[in-house]
Amino acid sequence: MSDAPGGRQSFLRRIFALPWSMQRRRRQSREIDFWRLQALFNNFRRILFENNAILEDMAHLERVLGGEYIFDRAFLDQAVRSISSRVHHVTYNLNALTGNGHIPLYDRYQDIRTTLDDILSGNTRNLSPTAVLGLEEVGWEHEPQVGTSLVCLAELRHHPGVRLARGFVVTAEGVRTMCDEMEAVNEEQATRFPRADVLAAIDDQFAALLGSGSARQFAVQVVHLEGDEELQNVKEHYILAGAEPNADPSPAAVDLRQKLHTLADEIGARQHSEGGRRRRFALHVRAVEPHAIRGSVHSRTSLGLDEAMQLSAVPATGEMSGDTFILRRTSPFAPIQSSISPRPAGYRYVRNRLATGESLANPTMARGSALVPADIVKTLAKTAIACERLIGGAVSLSWECSQVADCLITGLLPISVPRLEIDENALQRERETAEILCRDGQRVQSGVAAGRVAHVNEGTQPSSFPAGAIAVARYASPQLTPVLQRAAAIVTEYGTTMGHLATVARELRLPALFGVPEALRLLPEGSEVTVDAGEAIVYRGVLANLLRQEAGHNDLSPADPEYRLLRRLLRFILPLHLIDPDAADFTPNGCRSYHDIIHYSHEKAVDELANFQDHRPELGSIRTRRMRLDQPLDLRVLDIGGGLHPSAPAEPTVEDVTSLPLRVFLDGLRHPRASDLELPSLGMRDILSGMTHEVSTLYEGGGMLAENLAIVGKDYLNISLRVGYHFNVIDCHLGEDEARNHVYYRFAGGLADQQRRLRRIHFLREVLTAMDFKVTVKGDLIIGRLKLVPAPAVLSALTVLGALTTVARQRDTSLYSDADTSELLQGFSRVFLCRDGHCLGGEEQLGQLPVASPAAPATQQR
Amino acid sequence: MTTPSDSSRLRLLILDDEPIVCKRLKPALQKLGCTVETFTDSASALARLGESAFDLVITDLKMEGLDGMKVLTEVKSSSPATRVVVITGFATMETARESYRQGAFDFIAKPFRLGDLLDCVRRIGSELGKDLSQATAK
Repeated sequence: MSDAPGGRQSFLRRIFALPWSMQRRRRQSREIDFWRLQALFNNFRRILFENNAILEDMAHLERVLGGEYIFDRAFLDQAVRSISSRVHHVTYNLNALTGNGHIPLYDRYQDIRTTLDDILSGNTRNLSPTAVLGLEEVGWEHEPQVGTSLVCLAELRHHPGVRLARGFVVTAEGVRTMCDEMEAVNEEQATRFPRADVLAAIDDQFAALLGSGSARQFAVQVVHLEGDEELQNVKEHYILAGAEPNADPSPAAVDLRQKLHTLADEIGARQHSEGGRRRRFALHVRAVEPHAIRGSVHSRTSLGLDEAMQLSAVPATGEMSGDTFILRRTSPFAPIQSSISPRPAGYRYVRNRLATGESLANPTMARGSALVPADIVKTLAKTAIACERLIGGAVSLSWECSQVADCLITGLLPISVPRLEIDENALQRERETAEILCRDGQRVQSGVAAGRVAHVNEGTQPSSFPAGAIAVARYASPQLTPVLQRAAAIVTEYGTTMGHLATVARELRLPALFGVPEALRLLPEGSEVTVDAGEAIVYRGVLANLLRQEAGHNDLSPADPEYRLLRRLLRFILPLHLIDPDAADFTPNGCRSYHDIIHYSHEKAVDELANFQDHRPELGSIRTRRMRLDQPLDLRVLDIGGGLHPSAPAEPTVEDVTSLPLRVFLDGLRHPRASDLELPSLGMRDILSGMTHEVSTLYEGGGMLAENLAIVGKDYLNISLRVGYHFNVIDCHLGEDEARNHVYYRFAGGLADQQRRLRRIHFLREVLTAMDFKVTVKGDLIIGRLKLVPAPAVLSALTVLGALTTVARQRDTSLYSDADTSELLQGFSRVFLCRDGHCLGGEEQLGQLPVASPAAPATQQR
Repeated sequence: MTTPSDSSRLRLLILDDEPIVCKRLKPALQKLGCTVETFTDSASALARLGESAFDLVITDLKMEGLDGMKVLTEVKSSSPATRVVVITGFATMETARESYRQGAFDFIAKPFRLGDLLDCVRRIGSELGKDLSQATAK
């Protein structure tokens, strides 16, 4: 140990030079420090515990939405109370841990809690933070203010290949503010928005539409609302004509706003004159773009063909008759029948094909081309089915296509279609005689869907995935999200109900089964199957009765108030908006959901502990034990409970370590192949370069560490290393419960010139990324985070990080070129990063590090 | 494969004052091969039980008017062979114990997995020798 100022010997000299009474006080203060340290960790553990419980509660709530559970309204009340209480505890413990460093988080918690209470009590007036929204801003949380169909329409923006007509929405509260000429007589009646602001916002929206396109006409759809319900049978459409704007679109925008205002007043007055009380309504305004054809697609027909859908198209001029298709409701949406009107010679179809007129001249010949090309028919059909899932019932989509086949979805309405009686005997017979291709797996989202199987993986291009097919994959990887938006259902061999893809499947209400053994083999590419996700069964062929029963909204659907209530609640509980801890909005005020709050708290808690020696210098003098290692590493250990064997000597060895994370880390650190890769090459130029480096930039954000220290518990490791000239912090919780598991890795510094240090950072980034860490790099500071992973993944990561610590020692000094970096990466990968026979950089597997099991950590001996 | 006749089906009555529970249980149990009637008020349910015999009654516990415990008592006294399954969002050891004391076949706390209830109904069907579909979730 060095005797540098502030070092241990200097510290002891100072202690022994003090009078006895002061030495006693110092001893007492060391004891107090230890207890304070334990208190620090207790707060941290409490945050982990609560985070875990909240994540479980959230997953449970989400699974409830997926249709797996039978629940009632009382359950929702109780669930929100329970989860809110836990989030409150998290904010409390974070502030206790950090010396009240995050007080504004209480306010955000309180705001979200109030919103949730409002939703439960039916007070939805405060849900929309603004009275006028661009269509692209509308989400499920706005449903009470704009209606379900407008939210579904807006949600289509996430579907690849679907474009929405430009437009905006005036919420019910916005309309009320706009039309309310009289002063409110009490607070209950008062609107939340200043009237002038609402009018100005409408002006802005009109000006934006006028200024960014050629549309001079604007269609207005009136969405009537009653309480929490959208009155689905009330449909009103109007057209507003706008003046040609000058360089400044403002006057034309004000003119349009006044017309909209007049229209809203007239609707209100008509309601009043009809003797009814004034109903709430929202307004959807969209730009009418120049188009060649338009039409609608009904997700379900009223022609008695229960399994069919109907698409209609007419030329925009309205002078000619149109085409109609009756289509199957499953991919590839084959036509059952069609009615195509012949076109005169010279008629220009979309994509500029010209009609020959032959079909008119000779009616016995073919009917001629359809107005809508087949690929657009399929896309529209698939979009209508996706909307039906979202809204929970049959829908009518309206659309317009330009001459170059650029199609826009312009509107969405729920429709009422008479249903055929389901023959229960036929249904039962069908299910009992159908061949079951596979069963079991975790139900992520219930529902029934049929179609042809398409095998997919992370590299699948969404555009190559056949719309409406059944996606079958080995892993439920987040990279499959775009595919989900084109699929009718998804089945995977591996994946959890808590993962990102599961959340997307529930958002889309896409039937989803994860963890189905051998799904890829049992469901061959191209085979036609029916997925009953609620029952966790995949049948061969299309089970028409089962599909018909599913379409009868028998299961939990958006038509149920409880479903809508839960979905609305989840919008303020589940989404994770704060993803990047280095982003400017990673603040208490940036938290928009409970998930944001606990994620923020977890990150800040880990950060506090990972850097506690800097944040809490008063805890730096506590008693530690030096480890006896067969490595040139001076490592001291502080056991906070269960980290070392009770009979461990003053200088414990690896065998005395009972902390699983430390043991596994040391296995990697001492791995013989890690030392083989160690090739330090240090020149005088490097040393001089390192000496001139500003210390403050080397350790930015990471802090200056006094010594190599491992704080260990049975399932916890916080290790701060100063190996060579770099500084390294690893913070890890490792247990059976994956929701609590995390690995935090921070590395900074080095002795070589900046270019070579950056090459090492590149090397580290590649290694961390290969292990699925989320990595951020700032100069020569690299931070990696791995969360919510099972114990074996943490074990593997810790072992690799141990080896990485040895390999990376002064490695920057030998990285003279990018080729050196590549060579190092391949060498490391061959030994430590091979998975299923594949290694980072495409190298053949030469060896693989044995992964320890949680029950019996393997110890590599040199 | 023969089609089950109505007499071979399990006859089932569901009573829950939250319509969502009836709405969701009915098709799932029909899918299993049961004949299902649903009620959201206990007076109507008891009147129907007086008119017709049921193999199984699934009842909520906490309801307006006659609560589920009284329905359980009435059913077991008028038709001892009828099985009763209690489902409740206010599950306590005491209410569970009391339900079993009054003759309940099973006691299930809400929220519950649909598959758990179907398993329970399948057990009852098996005891009564009724045809029930096996092609459902476990």
